[in-house]
Amino acid sequence: MSRKNLRNITLALFAIATFCFAYIVYTSKMISYLSADPKACINCHVMNTQYATWQHSAHRERATCVECHLPTDNVFEKYIAKSIDGWNHSVAFTTHQHKSSLKISDYGARRVQKNCISCHKSVTSQIISNAENHHSSKKLGDRKCWECHKSVPHGKVRGMTTAPYNLGVKEQTK
Amino acid sequence: MKINYKIAITFLVVAIAAMIWLAGSIKENNEDRVILNLTPEIEHVDRAENEKWARYYPRQYGSWMKTKESDNVQDMLEEKSQLAVLWAGYGFSKDYNAPRGHFYAIQDNTNTLRTGAPVDGKTGPMPTACWSCKSPDVPRMIEEDGKLEYFSGKWAKYGSEIKNTIGCYNCHNPKTAELEVHVPFLNEGLVAAGLPTFEESTHQEKRSLVCAACHSEYYFKKEKWTDEEGNEKLAKVVTFPWQNGLTVEGAEKYYDEVEHVDFKNKISGVPVLKAQHPGYELFRTGIHGQKGVSCADCHMPYTQEGSVKYSDHQLQNPLNTMDRSCMPCHRESEEKLKGVVARKYERKDELHEIAMDNLAKAHLEIAKAMEVGASDEELKETRALVRRGQWRWDYAVASHASFFHAPEETLRILSVANDFAMQARIEIVGLLASKGVMNYSAPDFDTKEKAQKLAGVPLEKLVAAKLEFKRTLEKEWNKQAVEKGNWSEDTKNTIEKNDLKASYTIEK
Repeated sequence: MSRKNLRNITLALFAIATFCFAYIVYTSKMISYLSADPKACINCHVMNTQYATWQHSAHRERATCVECHLPTDNVFEKYIAKSIDGWNHSVAFTTHQHKSSLKISDYGARRVQKNCISCHKSVTSQIISNAENHHSSKKLGDRKCWECHKSVPHGKVRGMTTAPYNLGVKEQTK
Repeated sequence: MKINYKIAITFLVVAIAAMIWLAGSIKENNEDRVILNLTPEIEHVDRAENEKWARYYPRQYGSWMKTKESDNVQDMLEEKSQLAVLWAGYGFSKDYNAPRGHFYAIQDNTNTLRTGAPVDGKTGPMPTACWSCKSPDVPRMIEEDGKLEYFSGKWAKYGSEIKNTIGCYNCHNPKTAELEVHVPFLNEGLVAAGLPTFEESTHQEKRSLVCAACHSEYYFKKEKWTDEEGNEKLAKVVTFPWQNGLTVEGAEKYYDEVEHVDFKNKISGVPVLKAQHPGYELFRTGIHGQKGVSCADCHMPYTQEGSVKYSDHQLQNPLNTMDRSCMPCHRESEEKLKGVVARKYERKDELHEIAMDNLAKAHLEIAKAMEVGASDEELKETRALVRRGQWRWDYAVASHASFFHAPEETLRILSVANDFAMQARIEIVGLLASKGVMNYSAPDFDTKEKAQKLAGVPLEKLVAAKLEFKRTLEKEWNKQAVEKGNWSEDTKNTIEKNDLKASYTIEK
């Protein structure tokens, strides 16, 4: 085959690939993941229960998904965390590896804990300064706020189907 | 740079194949998402019958049925005997009970002496508009008959049509169960006030607005119209007075502008404005409203049953569900919060009693002035003061728990109401003195009996007529409702079995 033909085929394939990529950007609502809108977290149904429970919680008025779940003090760390989570979520969801009852990763939990402490600074500063006395066997960081505050903010049920027909989530069915 | 086209082509083919597979996977997952989020679709014809929704939403339906537990009838005319004097000449002086659960909405509307004792579809004191907030059959009739036809004629016109009590279709889309309002007056009010319509509001705002469709101040606006056959008709259309803002002063300004009078007080001739539960308007001024809490957050708390979560549809006093309604936000103890709420109530009730006493006395003192020959011209200013005072008092107390939803606004309105009443009474003292009457003391109204006698309410006659209506026309309506398919035999039996309580004794 002549070099010219090869070049034309390459260009044609490149155009098709570009089109495919554009379609994927569109159909996966890729751009929405750059936003902080909690609705982006229910682009697929996996997080419906988490969204519904948050939407009925007191945290609804103060904190969105990313304000608790992503680093808030450093923009680089934030996007690194977002990329790692994004990759893990995509792989798990695309290959159907996730289970029905979702559990946060250690990395994710550490980030949330940091945000609990930074938002609730006035309450936590005293706890932190006394941590050695009360949590003496473990350094602060090993224990998590929600070991005691069990239902904050997602409640005690977290299965994927435990908030059926949630009408707030249904905003996403259109 | 020299490009190796073979490698480039191989790479592109692999990439395209991968992307096509990915696109397919996304499409498949997207379909799953939509199907998983879908709510059961209910047949269009069944939308107004609550029990038709039960098999699709068993938990919501089950908790909604529990509004039946709020079944106590509290005769407010017994509790606050001043009311019959304040409302003399108006239906509310005949019968006025504290509200019960939504389950009883139709039954209480049918039993109250205010709706009288019609003998056919064209008799009785009240217009069709009195059904407007009581039933999912109301939007059905508006859809079938048209808005103006629905609002024309007597209450009894729809006796066999409007049977299902406040339920699913009042707040939900029958196909998707999304929040939706099917009566025109909410959006008309919001537009008049320059606020976003229901459809333009957020989900969280809708969780209050579905309630606001009924728990708001309204009046019946008279509209003349001609139907297709050329008959001239008068519609009495439920309308929210929100054009000048959702406040007591804004609504008063609106009513003054359109020269609206709900009734002339039979004792004093005061052209009274009757407030109708401006719950939503007052709630907006309170701290919970300001902070973006919705009605449903406290009155329909998120509830766990086994491993399933849903909104509790047993609408009731959130003090019964504090663990789910209050404690998700508040950190104090339930006991402490209850104490705070109780004190709020006491503060309101103190001012409430003072304002009612002064207003009732003002009516009776005006009557005395009329008796000794005061002219309408001489009484004009005084009557205007009583109108303004009574409107404020009524606005402050006519809705559910305004003392809690909006304590500051409620107390402010009550104090201003009391001031108007006192201004009026000072005027009357002077007027009475000029007619030679000194130190006049108004007759007692400390029991329902005394107050209704002053108001000229023929209670026994009204009750006898109502019981006759219940023996005859109501039975006929119930029968027809089943024949027309608006009600199932089961629902008819359930409702009739639970028709036990009113301010008078119901015969069985």
